[in-house]
Amino acid sequence: MLARIAAIALLLALLVAVPPFLGIGWQNAMTNMLIASLFAMAFNLLIGQAGLLSFGHAAFFGVGAFAALHLMGAIEDRVISFPTPLLPLAGAVAGFVIGAFAGYFATMRSGVYFALVTLAIAELLHSLAPHWDGMFGGEAGLSSMRMPWGGMTFGSPLEVYYLALCWTAVSILLLWAYTRTPFGRLTLALRDNEQRVRFMGYNAHTTKVIIFAISAMFSGIAGALLAVSNETANYTLFSTHVSAQVVLHTFVGGSTVFLGPAVGASIFTLFAFYVSEVTRTWLLYQGLIFVLVMLYVPQGIGGLVQAHIQHWSRLSWPELTRAYAVAAAVGACLAGAVVFLVEAFEVIFSTEYAAARRRLDGAWPPFELFGLEWQVFSPSTWIVPILLAAAGLLLLPGARRMLREAWDGVLERAEAERAAEPEPQLAGAVER
Amino acid sequence: MNREPVLELASVGKAFGSLKVMEDVSLTITAGERHALIGPNGAGKSTLFNIISGMFPPTAGEIRLRGARISGLAPHEINRLGLSRSFQITNIFHRLSVFENLRIGVMARHGMRYGLFRPINRMRAVNDEAEAILERVRLTRRRDHSAGDLTYSEQRALEIGMTLATGADVILLDEPTAGMSREESDRAVELIREITEGKTLLVVEHDMSVVFSLCDRVSVLVYGKILATGTPDEIRNNAEVQEAYLGEEVA
Repeated sequence: MLARIAAIALLLALLVAVPPFLGIGWQNAMTNMLIASLFAMAFNLLIGQAGLLSFGHAAFFGVGAFAALHLMGAIEDRVISFPTPLLPLAGAVAGFVIGAFAGYFATMRSGVYFALVTLAIAELLHSLAPHWDGMFGGEAGLSSMRMPWGGMTFGSPLEVYYLALCWTAVSILLLWAYTRTPFGRLTLALRDNEQRVRFMGYNAHTTKVIIFAISAMFSGIAGALLAVSNETANYTLFSTHVSAQVVLHTFVGGSTVFLGPAVGASIFTLFAFYVSEVTRTWLLYQGLIFVLVMLYVPQGIGGLVQAHIQHWSRLSWPELTRAYAVAAAVGACLAGAVVFLVEAFEVIFSTEYAAARRRLDGAWPPFELFGLEWQVFSPSTWIVPILLAAAGLLLLPGARRMLREAWDGVLERAEAERAAEPEPQLAGAVER
Repeated sequence: MNREPVLELASVGKAFGSLKVMEDVSLTITAGERHALIGPNGAGKSTLFNIISGMFPPTAGEIRLRGARISGLAPHEINRLGLSRSFQITNIFHRLSVFENLRIGVMARHGMRYGLFRPINRMRAVNDEAEAILERVRLTRRRDHSAGDLTYSEQRALEIGMTLATGADVILLDEPTAGMSREESDRAVELIREITEGKTLLVVEHDMSVVFSLCDRVSVLVYGKILATGTPDEIRNNAEVQEAYLGEEVA
C-alpha cells in the first residue's frame, strides 16, 4: 500500500514538474492525454466494474463539451459570472442528466442490446447536431473564449494543462473512492450476477441507471475539459470514432486494473501525437497494436504490469530478462519489416508518386524513405524487409517458448505456495 | 409454537400460453414451521419457487406474505418484505470474495442500496454482521477467497448464507443438498436446522431422509397440483402419495 501511494505521488510530481520544460505542442498533447485518460476511466466504470459495454460514450463526452461551451459563451457575454476553473461542472451536470435519461433506456437490456442502444443514442446526436444551430452550432460548431478569473488568464496551454490535471486527478480519486462505497461493491456484484442482486433486495435497473449516469458524468467532465482546452467543439465529437477510441484505450490499458484505462489512453494519445507527425498511416499502426494486444495480452498493459507486481517475489529475473530481450528483438524485426513495407507502399501508391511517374513518362523513379533512396525494382530494396521478417519469424518460436517457460515457472511457484497453505476445512463441517 | 400463517398460497396457477404448469395450488405455511416440498422431476417445484419469489407472476390465484399480497411484485420488492430464496444451481458472485458475497446481502438489509458517500469499511454494523454470518455458515477460513474458487459444497453453504444475509425470516431453499455426498449432506442439514432456528423455511428436497429428519410438514407436488400435505408420518403412510411418487423409496 505504501509503495503504491509513493508510486502515485511520484507520478503526480512528474505530471506537475515536467510540462513547464516542454514545448507548446507537447503541453497540448499532455492535456489531451489527461482528458483521454479521464474519459477512459469514466468509461471503465461501466465495462470494467459493471460489465456493461457501451459503444456510444462519445454522446456524453460531447454533451459535456457543448455544455461547457454554452457556459463559456454566457460568461463571455457577461450574462452570468462563473469561475473559469469550475467550467467542467457544466459538463458534469449535463453528462449526469443526459446519462440518466439515456441510461434509463439503455440499461433496460444488457449485453449486445445494451451496446446497440448506446450506439444508437450517440448516432442520434451525431446526425442531429449538424442541423441544430442553437444547441450545437450547426456544422461549424460552437466557439468561445476562456475568460480570465481570479488573477489567472488561462491564456497559455500550460495553465490549461494544470486545470486539466487538477480535474483529472480529483475525478480519478473520486472514481477510486466510489469502488470503496457500498454502491461500488454492489456494482461489482451486478457485473457478476444480476439475477442474484435482484433476489437480494436490489432494484437492478435503478442501480444500473445510477452507474450509467455517474459514468456519463465523468465523461462529461472530460468533454468539458476538451472544450475549455480547444475553445471550440462541433458535431464530430459525437462520432463513432470517438466512441471507438475510448473502447480501444480502455482495452489496451486493461479494463480489469483500476488505472489500466488511463495507462492505455496515455500511451495511445502520446503515440498518436508523436507518430502522426511522422506518418499518415499511424491509425493503421494503432489498429495493429490493438489487435496484437487483444490476441496476446487480453488483460491489457495494466494487467501485464499487475501480473509482475503480484508475482514480484517469484519472478526469476535472469530468465525473464533473457526472454524479454529475445521477444523485444523479434518485435523490433517484425515491426521493422511491417513499417518498411507499409511506408514503402504508402509512397509508391501515393498521388505524388503517380504524378512523378507521369512526368517521367511512366518510369519508376527511386523513392525516399527513412532518409535513404530506394529503387522500386531493385532486389536490394526488398531484401531489407524480407531479411527483417525472416529473422523475426525465425526467432519467434524460441521467444514464445522462453516466455512461456519463464512464466510457467512463476505460476508453478505460486501454485506450490498456495498448496503449502493449511488446507481449509470443508464448508458445513461441524466443529465438534 | 406460534401458528399464525406467514406464507399463504390461494389457488395459485401458472400457464405459459395454453400450457398449464401449475393449477389450484393452495398452501399455508405457519410461522416457525419447516416445510418441505417434494415431488417427482418436472412436478413444478422450482416453478412454484419462482412464482413465490417473484421471478414471474402467477396467472391465477394469490400469494400473501403475512397477509400482504406479494403475487405480481418484483423479486427485490418481495425480498424487502422479508422473503429470501436460494437457487438450485449455485447463484453467487464468482469474482467477489466470500465475505463480500455475504456483505452484499447485509447491505441490503441495512438500506445501503445507494450508499455512495461513505466507505463500506467504516460501516461497523454491516461488516460485523457479515462476519457473523460467515461464521454461522462456517466459511471463516475462506473469507477472502474468490467465491468461484470454493468447492461445490462450500458454494452451497455460501448460497444459504447469502439467502440469510438479507435478514428475511421466510427462507426458501431450492435443493440445498443436491449433488452432495451423504456426509456433506448431513452437515448441510445440520447447518440448515441451526440457522433457520426461529425462521420459517420452505425447502425443495429430493432426499427423503433429509425431508423426514428436517421438516415438520411436507407437501407433495405432482403435475402442478398439491397431492397431499401433512406431517412426515402422514405423508409416509399416505397410500395415494406412495402410489404416485414415493413408491419403494420409503417402503
